[in-house]
Amino acid sequence: MDGDSSTTDTTQLGITGEYMTGGTYVLQTQDDDGDESFNDHDDGNGSKDHFREQDIYLPIANVARIMKNAIPQTGKIAKDAKECVQECVSEFISFITSEASERCHQEKPGQLPAGLITADGQQQNVMVYTTSYQQIPGVQQIQFS
Amino acid sequence: MSGKNMEEKVEQATNSKNISLPVSRVRLIMKSSPDVSCINQDALFLTTKATELFVQHLALSSYKNGSGKETNTLSYSDLANVAEETETFQFLTDILPKKILARDYLKSLEEMEKDDENL
Repeated sequence: MDGDSSTTDTTQLGITGEYMTGGTYVLQTQDDDGDESFNDHDDGNGSKDHFREQDIYLPIANVARIMKNAIPQTGKIAKDAKECVQECVSEFISFITSEASERCHQEKPGQLPAGLITADGQQQNVMVYTTSYQQIPGVQQIQFS
Repeated sequence: MSGKNMEEKVEQATNSKNISLPVSRVRLIMKSSPDVSCINQDALFLTTKATELFVQHLALSSYKNGSGKETNTLSYSDLANVAEETETFQFLTDILPKKILARDYLKSLEEMEKDDENL
């Protein structure tokens, strides 16, 4: 679907989903039986937390390629470093999303300028990237509803 | 962080309209956050692009900061070090703990037990 070698098969991704009429995935949280048994030691705050424990990652090939292009050409990358960055990426996305979502609920529902995604108290790296994005023509505003 | 370096990267990123990360997967991860219902297309694109830059920034910072100069390899410990030392990456410290050798850990456990016995 995306032209990469990763799977979009939800069963392999460890989540269940079903198609709605528009072809959109609806993510259903897992029941407590089945694969969830090894998560029992975690605090069972609710099925949403179980879903987060599923650890959805971006495909490692894509991540590794971006890393490789970033470092000097003669450099190499350890395998566990690639896997680790893969996890960091998911953490980064979740982090931005939760901060922005919080912002969205605090402000009136509407449009947030790209710069506002950097909430006060948020880590500096997000400011870096959104400041960069302000230079991208056309992508001036984001909207979370 | 050198501003000039960042400018070059932004140019690279903005000049290429291609994104090398699967947008649908990014959306999946975003939706795993609580209270997120709909995600605007621009926001999704923005996040995907931001993630690309994040990977570049993390990889390069770790490589420069770490032992890459000697071994020429970016290792896990480079990442753990940069997470601890750099403010911008501190949100990663929970998932990037520094590793210690099992035997060192067992040694320190033994020493702790000895101390308890002595009390």
